[in-house]
This record gives sequence, structure tokens and C-alpha cells, in this order.
Amino acid sequence: MVLLKNLRPPTEGVRHEQAETTAVLGGQKLGCGTLYVAETRLSWFDGAGLGFCLEYPTIGLHAISRDVSAYPQEHLYVMVNGKVGDDNEAEMAEKAADDDDDEDEEDESSSSSGGGDDDDDDEGAITEIRFVPSDKAALESMFSAMCECQALHPDPEDADSDDDFEGEEYDVEEAEHGHADIPTFYTCDEGLSSLTQEGQATLERLEGMLAQSVAQQYNMAGVRTEETNAEFEDGMEVDAAAMEAGQFEDADVDH
Amino acid sequence: MESQGAESPPSVSGQAEVLNSIRERTIVENSMVVLLQGLQGEVTTVDLRNESSACGRVVNVDAFMNIRLKDVVYKDRRGQVTQLQELFITGRNVRYVHIPDHMDIMKTIESQLSKIHRVRNFASEGGGRKEFKKTTK
Repeated sequence: MVLLKNLRPPTEGVRHEQAETTAVLGGQKLGCGTLYVAETRLSWFDGAGLGFCLEYPTIGLHAISRDVSAYPQEHLYVMVNGKVGDDNEAEMAEKAADDDDDEDEEDESSSSSGGGDDDDDDEGAITEIRFVPSDKAALESMFSAMCECQALHPDPEDADSDDDFEGEEYDVEEAEHGHADIPTFYTCDEGLSSLTQEGQATLERLEGMLAQSVAQQYNMAGVRTEETNAEFEDGMEVDAAAMEAGQFEDADVDH
Repeated sequence: MESQGAESPPSVSGQAEVLNSIRERTIVENSMVVLLQGLQGEVTTVDLRNESSACGRVVNVDAFMNIRLKDVVYKDRRGQVTQLQELFITGRNVRYVHIPDHMDIMKTIESQLSKIHRVRNFASEGGGRKEFKKTTK
């Protein structure tokens, strides 16, 4: 978040604009201005040069509060991770310029890796912001617009969700082989059932070869084998014919 | 089941939206978020990473575990309780989501997955609405 003098209101991707909205930052009223819920960031300007903006990844939650016993006015409540204020202005300015790239953050806990974040979050450092519109009926739209924009900024540090799923989920091969109900990546067990016919044949052949080479040790006593033993490396030249005849039945074989 | 982010105007980002929602669907069916999506309509408690908690009715959970609740009792870290009409929790801030005792977890997961697969198989199985094909079981 930035408290800047020269920032201008966004012109693109503004999902909602709410004039006559008082901003209360950490309990301190900043005055009346206009709230801009834009796809890139959330911002508020008082029209006299004072304003601030919030990056969605730093926002922990937002809510509609109509509980006047908690706060005398109905408002849009926003909880920001990290401390916001003049002290951090320099860092905040950098952060604002980075748009969605939160990776170099120090104070703002929202961006660093999961492990490191826990410390920051647990330590507290949150900032509460309230946007109090004069038109209370607008709260729903303000809230919804924020929900939409927040969803546009998923956690970049969430390793599980992104990289594996870039490809199309609708796989032509899957559909053709009637395996469309299997997800695009396979655990071991699932993978077996999603092999193509060719894949199945290959698997069987490989498994057969594997079984053969293991089975050889137990088959040396003259039991008939199906395949030739080209794989054998010990130079004994045990071939199928010999095996069938049981010539080496009494051979002492070490492998 | 679609994320709330899929509501932008059909201008430039139309195709990006489609790809995004495909991506989200893939994320969902390959993670436990699919269970959370089955919580829609249920009243439950969400514990946040900053030690606060929110109890309310689940309106929506998207692929990034962003949770939208309504009619919420919110307890902040100091224990102070307030009521919130609507609450949106950013997925990153979620620590735990309580699954109501009465819910059958496996059934919920299976049911959610079958919804996804019906959507995805729509084209490959010649179109048409499968719901109308089936007789009630």
C-alpha cells in the first residue's frame, strides 16, 4: 500500500467506482473520496491529491459490515497483511510499482514463501481499512467487485496449483480412448488404466522380459522357457533348445 | 463451481477467461479444494492464518481456496466478535476449513468430481444434457 501525492485514479479495468466514500485507515479517518476497485489494484483518492492503493495479494480478507455495534457505520472492511504507514512508504512505493510481482518483499508478508510467511502472519502486522460509502446500498457491488478482482490475483507462491496444469484439460486422446474421466496427470495406479493399447502391449512386453530375467534363475534346472535368452550376459549360452532338452539340469549355476 | 473471476466483460480477455476456468477446473479436480467446493451451502468455520476465525454459510470456494461466506460471525485474534454480512477470505490466508460432522467426505468429493467430468465430457459424448438421459436412481 502506498500513500502517494501524485498518483492518479486508474482508467482501465475499473470494476467499480464509488464516490463519496470515506476511508478509515487503521482507525484514522482520511477523509471523503472515491474508491476505485480496479483489476490491477484497489485505490482510493480524496480528489485533493491524497490517495493510496492496495495490491490484491496483500489483502487478507474483505467484508461487508452492517454490525453497527462493532462500528457505527455500515462499511466495506478490508484487512491488509502487513503494516501500512509512513514508515514503509519507500518499500511500499517499490511494491506498488511491481504490480503483481511480490517476490522481493520484506515487510509485506504476503509474498514470500509459505514457510517464511507464517512468522509474519502470526506476528500480527495487519492493517484494517474501512471504506464507508454514503450510499450503503452500494456495499454489495463494492464487495462483489472486490471478490472478482481478488480472484484475478491468485497466490503466486502456491506451488501446487500452477505449473502442472498449463495444458489443455480436454485431451483428444483421452476422449478417443474413452478415458476422459481421468485427470490430466496420473498417479501410478491410474496411469496403468489409461495406457493406450500400444502402451499396454509395451508394458506387458517389458514386464515379461523382466519376469523372464528373474525367472531364469529358477528355470535353469531345465524348465522350459518361452523366449530365447539373448539377454544373458554370462556367456553360458543357454539357449531354448538346450533348456528344453534339460541338458543342464544338473548344472550348478551361479548368477 | 467456477471461480468468481470468470465474470469479466466479454471483451479482450474472453479466451483468457476460458483458459483460466479450464485451468481452475483442473486445479480443483486434482486437489482437496474439490472437497471444499462441496461445502457450498453449509455453515462452517474457517480458521485463518492470523489466528482469527470466521463462522458462516459457504457461498463459494474457488480453485485458489478463496472462500466467500455470508452471515458470518467473525472472531479476530484478540477474541473480539463481530458480525459480517458477507466475507471473502483470500485463499492464502486460510489455515483450516472445518468440515461439518454430518458431511460424508468421500461422497462429497465423488459428487463434485462427477460434476466436473460431466462438464468436460460434454463435447466428447456427442453433446446433450446427461441429466436428462439418466433415470433417477
